[in-house]
Amino acid sequence: MNGIARSVSRGIARVTGAALGPYQTAVIRIGFAATWLLFLLRELPHRDELYGPGGPWGHDLAEQMIADNGAFTVLLWSDGRAWFELVYALAVLSSVLLLLGWRTRTASVLFMVGVLSLQNRSVFMGDGGDNVLHLMSIYLVLTRCAQVWSLDARRARRADAARARGERVVDRVGPVLWCGSGFLLLTVTLAGGLDSDWFVPALLWAVWAALGLWWAVGRSAEGSQPRILLDVVANIVHNGALVVIMAEACLIYATAGWYKIQGSRWQDGTAVYYPLHLDYFSPWPALSDALAASGTMVMLITYGTVAVQVAFPFTLFNRRVKNVLLAVMMTEHAVIAVTLGLPFFSLAMIAADAVFLPTPFLRRLGDLAARARARLLGRLPAGAAGGRPGDGGTGAALPGPRTKPAAAPGPGSGRGAGEDSTAEPGAAADSGGTPPGTSGGDSGTDSQGTHVGFRA
Amino acid sequence: MPEAADTSRAGEAVEAGAEAGPGTGTSTGTGTTGTGSGRGSGDGHAAPPAAAVASASPAPSTPPTPRTGVAALSPRYQVGAVVALAVVAVAVCAHIGLVFLHVAPSNTLTKQHGSAVDEWVFPEFEQNWKLFAPNPLQQNVSVQVRAEVSTADGAIRTTGWYDLSAEDGRAIDGNPLPSHTQQNELRRAWDFFVSSHDSENRPVGLRGSLSGTYLRRIALLRLDRNEAAGPGGVVERVQYRSRTTNVEPPPWSGEKVSDRPTYRELPWWSVTPERDTKERDTKEGGAA
Repeated sequence: MNGIARSVSRGIARVTGAALGPYQTAVIRIGFAATWLLFLLRELPHRDELYGPGGPWGHDLAEQMIADNGAFTVLLWSDGRAWFELVYALAVLSSVLLLLGWRTRTASVLFMVGVLSLQNRSVFMGDGGDNVLHLMSIYLVLTRCAQVWSLDARRARRADAARARGERVVDRVGPVLWCGSGFLLLTVTLAGGLDSDWFVPALLWAVWAALGLWWAVGRSAEGSQPRILLDVVANIVHNGALVVIMAEACLIYATAGWYKIQGSRWQDGTAVYYPLHLDYFSPWPALSDALAASGTMVMLITYGTVAVQVAFPFTLFNRRVKNVLLAVMMTEHAVIAVTLGLPFFSLAMIAADAVFLPTPFLRRLGDLAARARARLLGRLPAGAAGGRPGDGGTGAALPGPRTKPAAAPGPGSGRGAGEDSTAEPGAAADSGGTPPGTSGGDSGTDSQGTHVGFRA
Repeated sequence: MPEAADTSRAGEAVEAGAEAGPGTGTSTGTGTTGTGSGRGSGDGHAAPPAAAVASASPAPSTPPTPRTGVAALSPRYQVGAVVALAVVAVAVCAHIGLVFLHVAPSNTLTKQHGSAVDEWVFPEFEQNWKLFAPNPLQQNVSVQVRAEVSTADGAIRTTGWYDLSAEDGRAIDGNPLPSHTQQNELRRAWDFFVSSHDSENRPVGLRGSLSGTYLRRIALLRLDRNEAAGPGGVVERVQYRSRTTNVEPPPWSGEKVSDRPTYRELPWWSVTPERDTKERDTKEGGAA
């Protein structure tokens, strides 16, 4: 009994004390934002035909459809070209902002509004990839996905450094954003623009209210009770959303796998041959033929696909097997991107898979990205290349820490975090490293990152 | 997942060798996160001017007060945290459960509570992951269209069939980034039409009539691109048909299927209303 009570209280401390999986949530944030951004840029020449007033799925048809299903879209507020262009531009902008992690909570809401507006406007243009993005854009709003690898994290580090120097840090952008979005929300609500299904409008208002509350409470002293409570609630919501995101990925694979088992073509081992020979999914016929040339090969891939999809959710209980399967699935999606001509679907799926990547791997990835970036910019400050691994962990892909050692108290905090993170990956490699961020090393970064995601 | 987390925890505990002490109860739990973040914040985050002092002074003398988590809250505020935890836990379980029932096959539970599931899942959480399942499509469906055109000299001319799917296929061939306009638009519009019409091509419900209008507009768009009407001509009516061909089974399977295509021909449709809306739209667009 005592043991159970202890593990329960330890569990509660864990899910309230930190927003878990900072690297995993950051990588899916970047992944989904990049997928949608690339998609929007690729469809730039076709945007009107897909979602605009000049497309075959016209404003009138969309209106009847939306009146029937109550889905959320801002595109039906006007059938003018200017409004459509503005929304499309905002969708592009919001993906960039989310990718960079600038005012991430607000950016993620904008991102969601963009994704839902375009996709719900023309439901019959999408495929599985759009479906993944649709769901994940909603879930991302509830996460603190900018604890690392984001402009918000850099801003928080700089603000901390400034405070350490005894300077007063005043945030002006946040309140302006909040007032602006509040004004917009109110106008739109009063004008009847949010008469769709209740869920999205409620979410918009809830996030707005929470951001305001966060700002108001943030003015009280650090460590005050209301402030900690809000932090705890934000952690709980983040961790809940993270569970939902992981469960969603599992449901995708489980559904895809279990339904396949019932299909005769998946049973007789020829299934993979057929999509490769559909006109709509064979951009490289010669490649498709080559892949389908050997019956044994096709059979192995067919059975392998089903086995991996069905097995994946269960392998989460074993870190090593899970990582192997993760690598297999990401590879398969990369292959699908080319052979079936589904690049954006594959990108979205790879981004969803990434939520299960182990923390040490993601940190190494972050270090590599930071180094590549520094080399690209041709400004590699002394010691940045590998002298301070811990800093790579906390600062990772963003340039903040590279310039910070000059500031007096900076090195102290940098090294403090460094000790945490250099100590942990070793332990994590043996025991943890399980997603999301189960390795204790995260707590070192959390201390800097916890407040970041939710700042207004 | 929880078990994976537990494993790692246990591993750490063994390695650290410090956490196993009895009677530490809650303080052990919070200690893990508490000390971690406490150290980090002691250095860089909280108490700014004292940063150097904090890192210099030995940690044990000043027991680190946990800055985050429930343990840092007074009992009054802890109630709030516990309520939040309970609400989120219930919401997460309910959401996952409802989405599970949505993607699962029809079963005892969905027969009883199907409306509750739909109520929650639609419109924003709708999803379908039967990717190439239970069986992948084994037929190529070619959607073709032809038009009746009134020419400049007042005559009526019927065009040949335009194979729109073949046009899509050509646009996709060798294209690393196929557009949704090429890969999804016509294909899904046709699926939508077929699923919302009966075998006599009569529309079923709202979706039926929507899909008919949608196809008419796609026909106009594509015929226009093909300049089917010719100079001075106007498309008056369109007709769709689909040609379905079995994908030839793999040579190594020894299977044989018929290679004769089957056709489904829709009636002629007048497109005058669609053309008029389009012209009005373009005029308005030009004015704006």
